[in-house]
Amino acid sequence: MSLQPPRDKRIPLADAAALVADGAIVALGGGLSARLPMAMVRELIRQGRRGLHLVGSAHSIDVDMLVAAGAVRRCEESYVGFEQDIGLAPAYRRAAEESSIEVAESCCATILAQLRAAEMGLPFLPVRGVRGSDIGRLHPEYAEITCPFTGETLVAVPALRPDVALLHAPVGDRYGNLHLDQPYVLDERFASAARTVIATVDELISPDEVAAAGVVIPAQLVAAVTEVPFGAHPSSCYPRYAYDRGHLREYVTAAQAGPDEAGKYLAAYVYGTGSEAGYREAVGTDRLSALASWSESTAAWKELFA
Amino acid sequence: MSVTLDEWFVVLLARTIRPAETVFHGFGSPCAQVAMHVARRTHAPDMTLVEGATYAINPDPLFIPPTSNDASLTRGAVYTMRFEEFFDAAVRGDVDRMFLSGGQIDGAGNTNVTAIGPAGRPKVKLGGGGGGCNLSATIRHLTLWTTRHRSGRTLVQTCDFITDMGHATPLGTRAELGYAGGGPQWLVTELGVFDFPAGHARLRQIFPDVSVAEIRRATGFDLTVAGDLRPVNLPSSAELAVLRSVDPLEVRKSEFSPRELARVFTIGSATDCAC
Repeated sequence: MSLQPPRDKRIPLADAAALVADGAIVALGGGLSARLPMAMVRELIRQGRRGLHLVGSAHSIDVDMLVAAGAVRRCEESYVGFEQDIGLAPAYRRAAEESSIEVAESCCATILAQLRAAEMGLPFLPVRGVRGSDIGRLHPEYAEITCPFTGETLVAVPALRPDVALLHAPVGDRYGNLHLDQPYVLDERFASAARTVIATVDELISPDEVAAAGVVIPAQLVAAVTEVPFGAHPSSCYPRYAYDRGHLREYVTAAQAGPDEAGKYLAAYVYGTGSEAGYREAVGTDRLSALASWSESTAAWKELFA
Repeated sequence: MSVTLDEWFVVLLARTIRPAETVFHGFGSPCAQVAMHVARRTHAPDMTLVEGATYAINPDPLFIPPTSNDASLTRGAVYTMRFEEFFDAAVRGDVDRMFLSGGQIDGAGNTNVTAIGPAGRPKVKLGGGGGGCNLSATIRHLTLWTTRHRSGRTLVQTCDFITDMGHATPLGTRAELGYAGGGPQWLVTELGVFDFPAGHARLRQIFPDVSVAEIRRATGFDLTVAGDLRPVNLPSSAELAVLRSVDPLEVRKSEFSPRELARVFTIGSATDCAC
């Protein structure tokens, strides 16, 4: 596909999610508990998407919730979990242990090389590691090659071209220019490597304002943009809001208790809310305001993590 | 002077960092993360500290949050690397040390953070290795750590799955695989400290409330003990003061069981300068 023409790309969230087909290879932006495309994840679950092949670096509730909702066929991330603080990802773990999803665990550096190959229009790139690790056994598509110049043995990893990349940014404009704060994680790479990029932003602002802030992902790479306040919640989207540790715990506790309790969480916060406006209402205005108050003082910021 | 096990443990991790090194920790690694900030504010002020998920260079966070990818971990950093900048630097050999842990660690320092049991149908699916299976090949030195040695399930004869390579795997040694990185240099546990002469873990130092027999019972690989086995090095009051100030939320404690957190040691003030 050619670069995206400059046009107004604003569409409703439901229409944006409809661009993701059952069975698609879906790249998830952000990482760990930061800037995850959660509004889009929730809408995909509301629409009953199935058979997704998720790719990304280190992820948490985005992957786990899609797995809990039965939307996933294959996971290809370098990590899925909630770090030392909250622990293993319950639905992902259960599905892996029951073999109800395929887990092709990967490595941040390998995924990076695969995306770069796609960006460069190359069929593969070599990586120096992987040999000696059993990660290679999970990837029969890798191949050992001999460097024609040095004679070194390297591992060739194929280009990774996601069907769709789901990215969330604090601000963007109607053309799809996005500004986001570091760390960008793999978002820039996904934007160039994916066939279709769908962005959600906490706030749509004017093109001049995005230009002044600095365009990180340019409009020509973005197919659709949707405004969703707190669209990354319960992950963070600095400088607007910190992550909601309490909500992450609430989700993990429910998912740990089993499919019934996970289903109750999804009923309360995803299916039952009907929309993202309903979601924000379910989470509560006071809670969301507190997350946005992180910058008022060190004490306020620390309090969010206590 | 009173010191808790978690404090002493983090100081021992910090001591594995040498001056002027470029050092990285993975995400979800609070003990290593706090240790790097302790080292930078004590014996290694000229180190280059790369935060594990923000890739900020030498930040001065007001506190360490319970998640690695948080803006609080970029405070004061003049520069933040892009994801690919960090991985490129590591692969071309510009990173001197990385901290790695594992649900299982074998005697050659191979680590497993992928799955316990058969990979096709694991008994426990762990979170995954992040960037480790490439980084461990080229980063110059690895400091391994675990806070679960006593469980008897962590230091094993053979890892069920090798996520990150130590000194040798069934595929060969680092030299045979052509890897520039030197592999594990230290393994710090809540019971003692191991080094890796000839590529195999050797007990070098031991905590004062632990016996070699206890360590042997908790260790799944053949235990080699250094001829000059010593107590672990004492923390200095300066290190402890820095540690307490950089980790006011005490995120380091999330790595330890209640039993380990209850271990408190009294160190005479005369020993403060013994290190």
